[in-house]
Formats: sequence, C-alpha cells, structure tokens
Amino acid sequence: MNDVIVPTSDVNSETGVIVEWKIADGARVESGDIVADIETSKAVIEVPVTTSGYLLHLAAQDAEVSLATAIARVFDTPEALEAYRATLQAELDEAAVRNAASGVRATLKAKTRAEELGVDLTTLDTSRLITVKEVEAAVAQNVDPATLPAPLKAPEDQERVLLIGGARGATQVIDIFRGNTTQTAVAIVDDDRSKWGTEVYGVPVVGGSDRIGPLFEAGAFDAVVIAISTSVKARAMFRERCAALGVPLTNAIDATSKVASEVTMGRGNVLCAFVQIGTSAIVGDNNFISAYNSFEHHNVLGSDISTGPACVTSSRVKVGDRCRLGTGIYIEPGVELGEEVRVASGSVLLKSVPAKHTVKAKVVTTVVVPNR
Amino acid sequence: MIYSKALNEALHRALGEDNRVVVLGEDISDPYGGAFKVSRGLTTAFPERVKTTPVSEQAIAGIAAGLALGGYRPIAEVMFGDFLSLCFDQLLNHITKYNAMYAGQTTCPVMFRAPMGGHRGYGPTHSQSIEKHFLGMPHLRVLAASPYHAPHDAFADFLAKDDPVLFVEHKLLYPKHLTLPENGAVGDFMARTESSPGVLPSVCLSLVPREDCALTVVAYGYEAQLAASVIEKLGMEEELFCELVVPAQIAPVDYAPIEASVASTRRLLTVEEGTAGWSWGVQIASSIQRTFFGKLAKPVEVLASQPTVIPGARRLEQEMLVGAHHIEQKIREALS
Repeated sequence: MNDVIVPTSDVNSETGVIVEWKIADGARVESGDIVADIETSKAVIEVPVTTSGYLLHLAAQDAEVSLATAIARVFDTPEALEAYRATLQAELDEAAVRNAASGVRATLKAKTRAEELGVDLTTLDTSRLITVKEVEAAVAQNVDPATLPAPLKAPEDQERVLLIGGARGATQVIDIFRGNTTQTAVAIVDDDRSKWGTEVYGVPVVGGSDRIGPLFEAGAFDAVVIAISTSVKARAMFRERCAALGVPLTNAIDATSKVASEVTMGRGNVLCAFVQIGTSAIVGDNNFISAYNSFEHHNVLGSDISTGPACVTSSRVKVGDRCRLGTGIYIEPGVELGEEVRVASGSVLLKSVPAKHTVKAKVVTTVVVPNR
Repeated sequence: MIYSKALNEALHRALGEDNRVVVLGEDISDPYGGAFKVSRGLTTAFPERVKTTPVSEQAIAGIAAGLALGGYRPIAEVMFGDFLSLCFDQLLNHITKYNAMYAGQTTCPVMFRAPMGGHRGYGPTHSQSIEKHFLGMPHLRVLAASPYHAPHDAFADFLAKDDPVLFVEHKLLYPKHLTLPENGAVGDFMARTESSPGVLPSVCLSLVPREDCALTVVAYGYEAQLAASVIEKLGMEEELFCELVVPAQIAPVDYAPIEASVASTRRLLTVEEGTAGWSWGVQIASSIQRTFFGKLAKPVEVLASQPTVIPGARRLEQEMLVGAHHIEQKIREALS
C-alpha cells in the first residue's frame, strides 16, 4: 500500500479541491500516471502516482482535501485494495451508527445537565440545538407529583427539616439530627432525577428543587438545610432561592460541637462533629463546616462558606462569603480572606488574601516504598 | 464550490449577461488567469472585453474611469489590495466626484476588485486590509466578500446602480467553500437575512434564537468566518451564545440589521482585520452608542489589528492581526 500525496510546496494553501479524477476508483495505474487534478488557491496541480498497482480514491470529486495527507492509495493487488476498502467501510458504518444514536445536537452543558437530571436527549425536539434551558424545561413538564414519595411525618415537638442535596452531605446532616432530640430530616430534594424515589438513611428523595415551594406551602416541613458540601456556588444559589420563596433555613449543629457563649450564629449552618466556635465569634448564614474545625474567639465568618476537616484559625480571623477551604489549614491571627477565596489543603496562612484569589500550597508529600 | 471558482463564474455571468461589462487587470489573460486565478477563462470566452493591462494601477484606474464615462461597466482587478493606494487619487478626486461635479449629467460606475488580508506571511505590503482608508469616501460603495454571500449579487448590485464600487475580497476566502444560507441554516447555525431597502442583505447567524443571545458580533469577510467558528465553539461548549451579523456592504453601513440584533442582546462587538483606530468598527460603535444611549449593558467593543506594520514572520503576524484567539478573548470579556 502506497500513499498518493499532492506534489506541492505551495505555502499559500493548506487544502485543495479535487477537480477531476483522471483514473477511476479501483482501476490499474502505472507509475507516473496522472491520477487527479487538485485545485488550490494558486493553481491546478496534477497528481501523479509513484508506484504501479490498483488505485483507491480516499475522497470524491469536488471534495476539499488536505495537501499534507494522502488523497488516494495504491495497492499491489485488487484483493488487497478491496480488503482495505472493506475495513474503511466498516469504520464508516460504525461511525454512522454512533452518529445516528447521538444524532441529537446539544451543547456540552446541555449534555451534562441531561445526565444530572436523567433526561434522555432523544426525547426532546431534535430539530434545533438543545441547550440547558430545553433540558430543564423538559424536566419541569415531565414531573407527576403523584408518583413521587411524600415527606416523612415527625412528632409535634420536632423541627421538621427538608434537605437540599441527596449525596454524601445529606448523610452527614442526617447523622447530626440523629444525635439531637429537636430536629428530624423529613425529606430530601435533589435535581438528579435518578435519585428520586430513593432513600438516604431512611429519608426519601421526594423530587427536584422545584418542589421546595409547594411542599413548604403544604406545611410538609418547617425549615431547610442545604446539605451540599462541595460547591459554594450551589449553596449560595439555593440559599437565594429559599429566600425568594420565603422558606427559612435552620442550623444543623452536631451534639459534640462547642459553640461558645456570646457567639452570633446565623441560619442554615451545618457544624459537623467536634467543631469549636470561640466566644464573640460571628457566623453568617449557610456555611458547611466539616469536622474538627476550630474558629477561635472573635472570628467573623461570612455566608455560603464550605470547609474541609481540621481547619484551625487563630483569633480575629475573617473569612469572606463563598470561601472554600480544603483540609488541614492553619490561619494566623487577624488574617482576612476576601470573598470567594479558595485555599488548598495543608496551607498555613500568615497574611490576608484578597477577594477572588486562590491560595496554592506546596504540601510536603510522602513516598510509599515496600517494607524492607 | 470554492469562493474563487464562484467568483470566476460570477464574472463569466456578468460578462455574458451585460455587454457593457469590461474586465481589466494585471496578468489576467489565459492561461495565467490572474494572481489568484479568479479571471481564468475570461480572455478566452470574451477576448474583446477582457484585457490585460500594463503593470500600472494608475493606468488601470484611469482607463476604467474613461470606459465608465463612455458608457461601459469596467470591473478592474487590483492584484493586491495594498496597491489600491495607487488608485486613490483617481477614486477620490475623479471617479467618485464626476456625477456631482457635472450636476448628474454623467456617471462613472467603476468597480475595483481587490484581494485583501493577511494570515499568510506575505509581509508588510501584501497582507494589509486597507479598506478603512476608503470607507467614508463620499459616493463610494464598499462591498466585502464573505462565505455567506453569493459573489454574483455584488456584480448585480454594481450593474443595477450607477455608483463606483470597491469590492474587498479577503484572499483566504478564495480556497474556502462558499456556504450560503440554505433553508434558514448555515451548518449548525440558524441563518436569516436582513437589510434596508436597496442594500445588499446582511446575514445573521446564531446557534439559538436571537432572544437567547447575549452579544451581537458584527464582522465581514474572512474575519466573519473566524468569528463564526469561535461563536460556534463557545456556544456548543459553554452556552455562551452570540449572534453574528455579516454585512455584504460595509460602507455606507446598513445599521438596521445591527440595531435589530443589538436591541435584543444589548451588547456589541465589532471585528475587523484592518488596523485599529479611525476604523469601520469605530464608526459603528459611535452610531450604536448614540442610538442605544443608556440601554446597552456594556460599551461597544471594537476589535481591530494592532496599529503597526504587518510582520513577515508568521508567529509575529498571528499576534498582530486579529485571529480567532483575539475574538474569543473579546467575546469572553464582553459576556463577563
């Protein structure tokens, strides 16, 4: 098998158009035969073959072809040619099948959202480009509340809590409620349709976030905890939605955590096991504080913050809205983090960080070797 | 069909349909057929009315002007648009003035066709887009080739009216396929044409309906094709949706299609390959900001090439001339 390449040093064109095939597909060629005319922006170029054999066209007449890759191949025998053609055809067929299956035109974001929501894109209007808007509209249309589970009932003296997010964050919050006697998780909402009807630690996922309003109006719960630990953006978004709906947030504070006297505590905060909040600290709303965090006296925390385990601050530290802290971070006295600061695990912060900046850290890593 | 072939066919058709048409230019005779092969076959088919000229743009402009005054419709090929500067005096002081100077008793309908543009490593004097020096010349209509407009329409427009025309053809369009709107679409784009009466239409392209677009991008020629590729990528990957408005006539500007789009998006980015300052985009920005005073979400952004000499080195040229990466950056800024 020999490649037929357009003989040109033309720097003006990267592609050309096949004006004419001089020798038919599958026919015998002799070395030196002109097999095709290729038109570039500058000229029509005659394309010769440099070996004898049987010619296989790799592009049709009028097709645009690269001047750098083969436009045809020459084979020693007709059998070799046909065998190669068969493999090419098989690849084409396979691609055609793939394309037919995914014949839907959708943006990358729409595809991701469809996966999150469990929407089959082929069921949507495929005559146009599908965007997130269409995917979400399809979900809204398809919901039949009658098929979704109802929230749990709880004794009168309990605060009945709806959780937003049915992933691992929900397990942490439910565990916190199991350790106290005043709050019970009665339902979970999650926009991932595949979770609908399932349970997390016995608490049903009752549908998507569009059910928050109707369930609240129906008196099915008293307050919300946002049980999403990973995305501060999602936390902020759902907090704003709840505010718009007039749905109150409530705190989920683990029985082992210590909130000192004279602390000002907002709403919607999740404090996992062994969290310490020092005296006179001010905590905003809707923060997800992981286990073994210690925010010393006179700290000021904003809202929609999320932290990993074992973040420890000294006194008078300020953490701005929507900050995202990794695991095992130490912060020196008086350090202030602006809004939307992200801090890598293992960082030790000696000075303040302006808003919308990321703190990167070179963590001392370990090497694992077999025992000697 | 590639653009240069379509252009060649349109010239054949113009010569065949209208006996007033005369084509002249340097080295346009067969078998050479012009530096970019656009004139191929014309001297063979119409030997009386297609003439190779001496290597003198002044002569081409003068002969064309004389032919036009005599009732012909000369279409003059200027081998590289850069050389239009040699025609400038006759365009400014003669061709565009005769009609008014002689109180409408005569007309001088000449068309200059000029390959413009860079991205090819041709260096400082064969890569420019100098049309901005002709924009705003009173009584000169400037048209621009694009992959979304049939070249025949430019000639039909020239033959139907009595004014001189400059037809700017970006040389990178020549080997590209013409992609005219078909059934309201160009590839994955929805396409519609909009225009004011008597003006060649602008083609409006968007992946989603106009009301879902957050930015209008206006561009012509090869830059329109670059902008389309960026807009498609940003739309498909990130749902940053823009509407692209591609005019066929760049001077005088037909504001109606741009205004219709901006009324919905409230943001505008203009893109041109010519150098920055005193440019097409600046003119559009001035008008749009006046029309939409207080209603825009952001000031109009004008993207043009750096105001300096085009380097011969390809890598340096890529930094200097407006390329896809510059357009992407500007769109992101406009939508941020």
